[in-house]
Amino acid sequence: MLILGLIVAAVLGPLFVWRNNDNPSARRYGIGSAVAVLGAAVTPLAMGRCAFLEGTSGVDHLLAYGLMAGGAWLALIALQLLFDRADGKKADSAAMTGEIRTGGFRLGWWVPWLLLSPTLIILIVFLYLPAIQTFTLSTKLTKLGAPKSVDVCFSNFTELLITDPWKLVAYPLLAIAAIYGARFWLSRSAPGTWSRKGADIATVLAMLSVFVALYAMFSAGGGGQVAYRPVYLNTVIITIGIVAFGMIGGLAVSYLAFRKIRGGSVYRTLLIWPYAISPAVAGVLFFMIFDPTAGIFTYVMDTWFGIDVPNYRENAFLAQASIILASGWKILGYNILFYLAGLQTVSLDQVEAALIDGASTWQRFMKIVLPALSPITFFLLVTNLTYAFFEVYATIDFMTKGAPAGKTSVAIYEIIRVGVNNGDLGRGAAQSVLLFAAVIAVTIWQFQTSGRRVSYGGS
Amino acid sequence: MKRALKYLTLLAAVVLVAAACSSDDSGSDTTAASDDTTTTAAAGDDTTTTAAAGDDTTTTAAASGDATTIDFWVAFSDEARLGFSEEKAAEFNAKHPEYNVQVTSFASYNDVFDAAVLAVDSGEPPGLIHFFEAATRQALDAVGADGNPIFKSVTDAIAGRTEILGEPVVLDSVVDAARNYYTVDGSFYSMPWNTSSTVMFNNMDILNEAGITEPPATWADVETACAAIMALPDAPSGCITWPNHSWFVEQSLGQQGELLGNNDNGRSARATEVNLESDGNLAYVDWWKGLSDAGYYTYTGLQRDWDGTSNAYLAGEVAMLVYSSSDTTFFDTNAEFTNQASFMPYNGDVDYIGNLIGGATIWMLDGMDQTTEDGALAFLNFFSNPENAAAWHQLTGYIPITQDAVDLLESQGWYDESPNSKVASDQLAAAQNTPASLGALLGNFVGIRDIITIAIEDILVNDVDVATRMAAANEEANKSLSEYELLFGS
Repeated sequence: MLILGLIVAAVLGPLFVWRNNDNPSARRYGIGSAVAVLGAAVTPLAMGRCAFLEGTSGVDHLLAYGLMAGGAWLALIALQLLFDRADGKKADSAAMTGEIRTGGFRLGWWVPWLLLSPTLIILIVFLYLPAIQTFTLSTKLTKLGAPKSVDVCFSNFTELLITDPWKLVAYPLLAIAAIYGARFWLSRSAPGTWSRKGADIATVLAMLSVFVALYAMFSAGGGGQVAYRPVYLNTVIITIGIVAFGMIGGLAVSYLAFRKIRGGSVYRTLLIWPYAISPAVAGVLFFMIFDPTAGIFTYVMDTWFGIDVPNYRENAFLAQASIILASGWKILGYNILFYLAGLQTVSLDQVEAALIDGASTWQRFMKIVLPALSPITFFLLVTNLTYAFFEVYATIDFMTKGAPAGKTSVAIYEIIRVGVNNGDLGRGAAQSVLLFAAVIAVTIWQFQTSGRRVSYGGS
Repeated sequence: MKRALKYLTLLAAVVLVAAACSSDDSGSDTTAASDDTTTTAAAGDDTTTTAAAGDDTTTTAAASGDATTIDFWVAFSDEARLGFSEEKAAEFNAKHPEYNVQVTSFASYNDVFDAAVLAVDSGEPPGLIHFFEAATRQALDAVGADGNPIFKSVTDAIAGRTEILGEPVVLDSVVDAARNYYTVDGSFYSMPWNTSSTVMFNNMDILNEAGITEPPATWADVETACAAIMALPDAPSGCITWPNHSWFVEQSLGQQGELLGNNDNGRSARATEVNLESDGNLAYVDWWKGLSDAGYYTYTGLQRDWDGTSNAYLAGEVAMLVYSSSDTTFFDTNAEFTNQASFMPYNGDVDYIGNLIGGATIWMLDGMDQTTEDGALAFLNFFSNPENAAAWHQLTGYIPITQDAVDLLESQGWYDESPNSKVASDQLAAAQNTPASLGALLGNFVGIRDIITIAIEDILVNDVDVATRMAAANEEANKSLSEYELLFGS
């Protein structure tokens, strides 16, 4: 099985060279093939070919092939950089954009490295080494204080996924096919027609199909598998909720606060305060508001209006909504800060011109203010997503501890519960790797979609 | 520009205030702490050294400079219990100026343990750590990077001495319930400290109003009482509550004589299987769910919610609270109603076997030199000497850990004064000495407890079938245990 993968890599390597070079030589094809095989062989060799040993399942093979493909791809990209440099392509493009390579360090090539070394050392010690350690840990069964650890290959990952390898391949392929299909339809339809409207809807549906495909790929539990599907669903709901609430709310509040009001500057400063509060405190605050026994809100509703507010921790919808509310409220101040700054850069001339042309407030907001804010929106989207992915643990721990029955247990909460509280380092590491991959994927996707629509002004 | 400046100054002001507040806090903390130590040290000096009265400051400085430091890591962070440990450490240091026991507070037992394992690997271990009963197996099994066990048996270290550095050894006087729980392979590995049992606290005002004069004893009695209480015109919002903590499940198994782990609850040999599907467990969870469905049991919606349940009881929102005896004094002082403690309700349909203890012990780390180790042992025995053990019991409600302390309290008439404080000890004394009522020694117990509480939350909130859900939890728990045995078993 391993050999099969390497043969495929040997064939695909030259293909990559052919696609990316204008006049590839036989030598380059050969190098491309060898490099692809080497890149593909790195991970199986590092893991002792464990995914192909006896007793492994199709899902194990699949993950191993995935890693091999990734390794080969990275190796080929690095190779292509070398080829490009040999062809002098970089110099061309630099000259074209007016970027002139002059100067250098008189003492030698090592000078910049020396100057960068403090940063690099910190990055290596506190970022890259722990990251590599996380990858190693994720293939082990181990606990703190244990006399030994056991290599479990991919089983920390496979137990999170469905057991049928064919479905595992088919779902993402279907989603990708849907996206390309929608794009194709979009390119064939003229603006303003019904066909374009259909294509627009299809594009949105295709995007959603990615979420659905992932949902179907995670295990629902049972048969020794870990029920990760609910965790995935909670993460999607709560993350989207926090980002949407935080950003739309932030924009709305800052748009209102930006108007000329008496004492505006004090008011605006006060709005930023929630950002100075830690996620744990946000959790405690909202706990104190909504707690069924000690909560202020429940007390007021009960004594003043006679309304018996249900326990938010016993209802999945209320529990998730309260997490979104608390976390969204905390990030609101941050978003307001940036949107207030951004609103000051919106060109008043354009707004005035639109006003003279008879555009309504809503139209001015949608057509002028919003596009002008797009760089900030994009930046906030990235930071808000990171926040929603990584910094909600404390809020959840104080408000629900994952209740009801795990309905507010998001990926990061689950990682800490499994890896830290229960001391299952391997599984915790595996879930961290998964979250890491998710963040990388989301970031790439953002740069590809939103990045294109961002206007930074200028030409 | 002007506006930006205004923002900046405002922000700067905010930051400054925040910074000032935080530094104020830490400042006052440290000064308060050092105040404490200086006052107690001074007090000690007064009593011990009257000759060197003129040269007070230099002697204390010299003593603290040369003193052997013993780090004592405690998993309490509340004023009362952490304060007690710090106070006793200071008293010990004053009595034995050649030692300096230093208390460090941690947020939880797990935090203490993780920190200790990492400290062993980095070569700077503490001397003593405070670790809980459910993790006894884990502590016994823990090894450092060199493969040697992290902890040393306290019995072995005492080696038959009856006195260490003038402190009488109290290990032989430890009460049976704790002795039997913590004795593994015939010896004490760790020194029992905070030890409690589950008791029920009753708001007798509400019970009496409903025509009930005695706290309910059995499950059926609880149901009868709840029916009467909830029928009151000014009925509380719920009848009974307790935290969704696996400890209560374990207690109930002990009462019904059911084993949680095989090999006599892991006491005759390592437990390799765990059983969450026993009749006793299903009966308990069924009863729990029935109370919940009937609107009698109030679930706060959080797992391991000690605070929420305690608040609900104190606020009169429930009439009964099953809880740890550790807070008996707290309830006696803070309840604005007649608070009466009683045994944890049991299943009247089967024979009562016995409740078990809960709590934590103090573990001694291996690898100290003889002087340090003797200091640590002397401190342990000082810490639980009759006066201190009695004071600890009176402060909290944890049982007096030695028979000598019980005798002392009796001679002082403490139990006549506060009868609620005796309930936990009586309940433990009423237990038969069987593996079931001793409680289980299990690997990965912390993780297995987590599996149990999640399953129960699912049952309480989502109305799923008890047997089916427990079967799933059982499968998960056994997987967790077998993985533990794979790593730690021989």
